[in-house]
Amino acid sequence: MKQIDFSMLKQIDALKLSAANTAWKAAMQASPWSIFADRERWTVASWRETDGEDIQIRRARLLEKILDNLEIRIHPFDEIAGRPTPGVIGCATAIDVCGDYIPSIWNDDGSITATLDATAEIDKESLTILREAAKVFGGHSAQEMCYKAFAEIYGDWPRQIEAAKLKDPSLDCMITGQTTSTLSWAKILRIGLRGYIEEAQAKIDEYIQGDGTDADKMYFWRSAIIVLEATIRHAKRYAELARSMAEAASDQNERIRLLEIARVCETVPENPAHSFREALQSMQFCNLSKMLENPSQNNCHWGRADQYLYDFFLEDLKNGVPLETLASQFADLIARWGTQTFVASSSQKESHQINFGIDNIMIGGLGQDHEDQSNELSYLTLHIVALLQLSAPTVGLRWNFKTPDWMMQKAMRTNMATRGGIPLFENDEVVIKNFVRDGIPFEEAVEWNGLGCVYPCIPTRAEHYGAEGVAAFNLAALLHLTLHNGVDVNHVQTGIKTGDPGTFATFEDLYKAFLAQHKHLLYGIFRLGAIARNVQPKYYRTPLLSVLGIEASMELGQDLLIPHPDFSMYGVSDRAIVDVADSLLAIRNLVYEEKKLTWDELLEALDSDFEGERGEEIRRMCLAQPKYGNDIEEIDSLVKRISDDSASIIKAYDNAPFRNYMIAREGLAWHYYGGLGVGALPNGRKAFEALNDGALSPMRTADKNGPTAVIRSAVSTSFDEVSYASVLNQKFTSAILGSDESIGKLVAYTNAYMGAGGSHIQYNILDTAQLKDAQIHPENYSDLIVRIGGFSAYFTQLSEAIQNDVIYRSEFEL
Amino acid sequence: METVDKNTAMVTNIQGYSIHDGPGIRTVVFFKGCPLRCRWCANPENLIAQQQIGFLSKLCAACGKCFDVCPHGAIRKDSDIHRIDREKCVSCGACVDACFYGALVRYGEEMDADEIFEKVRRDKIFYDASKGGVTVSGGEPLMQPDLIGRLFTLCREEGIDTCVETCGCVSTETIDEVCGVTDHFCFDLKLMDPDAHREQTGVSNERILENARHLADAGADVLFRLPLVPGVNDSEENTEGTAGFLRGLPAEYRRLELMPFHRAGQTKYNALDMTYDCGGLEAMSAEDIERVRSSYEARDVVCTVSR
Repeated sequence: MKQIDFSMLKQIDALKLSAANTAWKAAMQASPWSIFADRERWTVASWRETDGEDIQIRRARLLEKILDNLEIRIHPFDEIAGRPTPGVIGCATAIDVCGDYIPSIWNDDGSITATLDATAEIDKESLTILREAAKVFGGHSAQEMCYKAFAEIYGDWPRQIEAAKLKDPSLDCMITGQTTSTLSWAKILRIGLRGYIEEAQAKIDEYIQGDGTDADKMYFWRSAIIVLEATIRHAKRYAELARSMAEAASDQNERIRLLEIARVCETVPENPAHSFREALQSMQFCNLSKMLENPSQNNCHWGRADQYLYDFFLEDLKNGVPLETLASQFADLIARWGTQTFVASSSQKESHQINFGIDNIMIGGLGQDHEDQSNELSYLTLHIVALLQLSAPTVGLRWNFKTPDWMMQKAMRTNMATRGGIPLFENDEVVIKNFVRDGIPFEEAVEWNGLGCVYPCIPTRAEHYGAEGVAAFNLAALLHLTLHNGVDVNHVQTGIKTGDPGTFATFEDLYKAFLAQHKHLLYGIFRLGAIARNVQPKYYRTPLLSVLGIEASMELGQDLLIPHPDFSMYGVSDRAIVDVADSLLAIRNLVYEEKKLTWDELLEALDSDFEGERGEEIRRMCLAQPKYGNDIEEIDSLVKRISDDSASIIKAYDNAPFRNYMIAREGLAWHYYGGLGVGALPNGRKAFEALNDGALSPMRTADKNGPTAVIRSAVSTSFDEVSYASVLNQKFTSAILGSDESIGKLVAYTNAYMGAGGSHIQYNILDTAQLKDAQIHPENYSDLIVRIGGFSAYFTQLSEAIQNDVIYRSEFEL
Repeated sequence: METVDKNTAMVTNIQGYSIHDGPGIRTVVFFKGCPLRCRWCANPENLIAQQQIGFLSKLCAACGKCFDVCPHGAIRKDSDIHRIDREKCVSCGACVDACFYGALVRYGEEMDADEIFEKVRRDKIFYDASKGGVTVSGGEPLMQPDLIGRLFTLCREEGIDTCVETCGCVSTETIDEVCGVTDHFCFDLKLMDPDAHREQTGVSNERILENARHLADAGADVLFRLPLVPGVNDSEENTEGTAGFLRGLPAEYRRLELMPFHRAGQTKYNALDMTYDCGGLEAMSAEDIERVRSSYEARDVVCTVSR
C-alpha cells in the first residue's frame, strides 16, 4: 500500500490558481482564435526539396524543416515554453496530411471556419500560403488515395454509407495519426531523446554489420534520428530566444524567469529530466513535435501522469520546491494541452462536435503489484482541473476494488466543481479482465489508459481505432435499413434486401433480417479498413509518433502506420443498442403480440415522422412500451441479446494476420451525429433526432424508476462481458451533492455499480442555466427528477413558480 | 388512531436512491393514509388511504380520450382542458390507462409485504455499499403495523437495515409491535402547544409526545425532526418548548433535524383538486433557517438542517 501524506492532501485542497495560471487564462479568454499558416510554408518548401526521396525520409525531413524554422514565441505567463503557433490559442493546419481539406480557404472573405463554433480571421498572405499548400498536397493525401482505392472495389458504396451515418469516422476525419497510443513518457523522461538517438544508431550499426537487406528498416531508423535531433534543436531555439529576451529585459525577476526557461530548454528533452519542471518541459517539446508532425486530431495524451511524474514531484518537494510552484507548473501544461486546437475537417466537425483536441489524463488504478496506485499527485490533478474549469482534459479515474475513499470523495467534489462529468469513472477490473482474456499479458494490460475519452488502449501497442475509418458503427441506422428493405435515409440501397417488413411472419424473422444487415455492413466496413491499412502507409508516415509512441517501432525498424500482427490493436464501437432494443420491443408488442398495429400502420407513421393525430397517437403507444433503464426484465434482456449477437458477429470476423477487433462502446457527442442517419424509430423517437447518449444510458425521458433502477438494468445486460468500456451517463441536479453526507452516498452508488461490473459512469450535474433551459425546453428534460427533503417530482411537471424555487435552491446550495 | 388489519396497503411510490431519509442510500416506500392533516403537508396524495386519480393539467393535450373511456361520466370538459368531477370519480383508473400523455396518474397501488419486499430487495447492492436500507414513510406507515412488521422481518433476514418515518400519532402497542424489527426511527415533532398542534394538524400532540418518550425509554435509535414552517413553529416559544422536551429525554436524544418548508407539493394539490393552505407561503431564507437552528443550539440541542 502507498503511504499517503494526508496533510499534503489538505494543503492541496487549499490551493488556488497561481498568478501565472490566472494570467494565462485571462489571455486565453481574451485572444481571438487565430490560424497560423507558418507551418504550411515549411511543409511546401520541404516537400519540394525532398522530391524523389523515400516517403519515410520525406516525412522526417518535413517535420525537421518545420521545427527548424517555425516562428516561436515565449509569453509573459509561460512557465513551460513551447507552443505550436505563436498565438495563445492558435490553430495550425494539416494540409500536407489531409490534402485540400479546408473549403473556406477558397473563399475571399478573409476568414476560416476552424472548428465547431470558431471562425478565425486570416490575412491575405496566409491565405496564399494555404492555397499553395492545397495545390501541392491536394488530391494525393493518404485519405484521398484510400477513397480512390475504395472506389476501385466498392464504387460509391463507401461514400454512401458515410453519408447515411452508418459508420463514423470517415477517413477525412483525419484520425490517421491516432494510430498512436500515449507517448512513452516514462522512458522519454528516463533516457532523454539522446538516449533514443543512441538506440537508433546502434540499430543501424548492428543492422549493417549483420548484413541486413531491408532498406525500409534503415529508412525508419534514419527518419527517427532526423526528427529526434530536430526536436532537440527546436528546444534549443527556445533556449536561445529566452536568453536574448533576458538580455533585453529590464526587470530582474523577468530576467531570472527567462534564464531559467533557457536553462531548462537547453537540458531537455535531449537529456533525462531531473526535476518536475524539466519533466513537464521535456513532455511539452515531445508533444509539440507530435502535433507539428500532424496537427489534425493529434491529441495530447497524458496517460498515467500521476505515476511517471510522481517521483519527480516527491523529489522536488523533498528539495524544498514549494507545492504551489509545482501545482502552477502542472496546471500550466494541463491547461495548455486542454486548449490545444486545430483546424478540423468538415466531417469531423459534424461527427465530433470538436472545439478543442480531446486529451486524456488517467489517475489512480492498479499497478504491477496489484495494488491501487492513487497518490498525492492524482489528488492534485483533480484539484487542478477543478480550478481550471476547462472542457478538457478528460480525466479518467481508474476505479477498482482498492480505490481509496479519499480519492472517490475528491472525485465527487471535482464533479461538483466542474459540472461536466470530470472525472469520469472507468472500471480497472473490467478493462484489465478483458485485455487479459484477449491475450494481453497482465503487465501490459495494467498500464492501460483512455484514448481521448473512454476507449481503453495500451501504451505499448499501436492503436488503430478510428485510423482506418473503423470506429463507430450505427445499429440504429441498421434498424432503419431493416425496416426499409436495405434502403437508407438518403433513399440509397446501402444495405442488402432483407425483405419488406410486412413479409416477416414472426418477430424472429425481423430480428434475423436485422442481424443480416448488421453482418453485411460491418464486414464491408472491416474490409474497407483492411484496404486503408495497406494504402495509407504508401503516402504518409509518422516517424516521430512511431519512435516515441511505441518501443516496438524502434525494435522492428517500422513505422506505426505499417501494422504488425504483434503490436497493432483494432477496435470497433457498435452503438445505439438501447435505441434498437426499445424499438424492437415496441414492434414485438404492438405488431406481433398485442396486434394493436399493423406493419403498414407502423411504417406509415414512421415514414411520416408520426405526422397527424393518428401518427401522434402511434408515437404515444410506442413511447408507452417498456423501456430499458427501469429494471424491467422483458426489455433489459433484449438489450443483452442484441449486445451479445452484435459482439458475436464482430468477434467472428477474421482479421488475420492481425488481432481481432475488440469492442468499446464509447462516444462523446456522437448520438447527435448518429441520429442524422436514422428516421423515426418505433421507440417513439422522431426522425433525425439525437439517439440515446452513451452505450447504456436509457432513452431520454424513459427512466421513470430512478437512478438505482438504471444501474440494475445496466448491470443485467452484462456489457462488461463483451465490451471493454460502455458509457453510462447519469444526470443529477446539484442538490444530489449538496452536503458531505450526500457526496459519500454518490461514492457508494458509484462503488455499487462498478462492483457489480459496470465499466464506466459519468455524472452530469445540472447547473442553474440548464434548469432554466429545462423550463424553456421541457421535452429535453422530462426525466429530470428533483428531490427536496423527502419530496420528489419530475422537474418539468412542476409549476413555474416552484421550478423557480428549485433553481433558487440549486444556486443557494453551491 | 385505527390501524388497518389487512395484508395489503396502498403504496404511492417506491423511491430508490433516497438520500435524506435515514443512513446511507435508502429506498423509501410511501404509504397512503395519515391520521394528521398538517396544513403544510407536501404529500397530499398520501392523506387518505384509498386510491386516487390525479390530473396534471400541464401535460394534458386535450385529446379527449379520457372523456371517452370514463364509465362514470366523471370527466368533463372545462374550456380547453379536462376536469375530474370528484363526486362521480370512483378512481377506477380507466382514464389513466387511456391517456397517452401521462396527464392522468394513479395515486396508490395495492401491495402486500412480499410484493414490496421483492421491489426493495433489488437495491441491496446500494444498501451494502452505503450502509443504507429501507425506509417506510407516507402518510403514516404505522397505520398498517402488521404489514410493516412482516416487511421489516423479511428485510432483517436479508440483512437490510430498516427505518420508520412516523408522525408518532399511533397507539403505543403499534410502536411496540414494530420496534423489535426497526433499526431507526425518524420521528416528527410539529408543535409543543397542544392547542396549536390541534389547530395546525387536526389532532392533539399528547399521544405523539408520549410515544416519543416511550421510544426513548426503550432505547430505540430515534432522530427527532421538525418540519420548519414559517409562522407555525419557528417561534422562540416553540423552540423553547421543543428544546425543553428533548432535554427531558436521555442525552443521546437531544438532537433535532430541521426540515425547512418548501411548497413543491403544490403541483400535487392541483392534481387532486385540493386547496393547499400553505401554497402562498414563501420558502424560508437561509438566514431565517440559521436563526432557528442556532436558537436550538443555544438551548443545548444539536441541531442540523436537512436538504
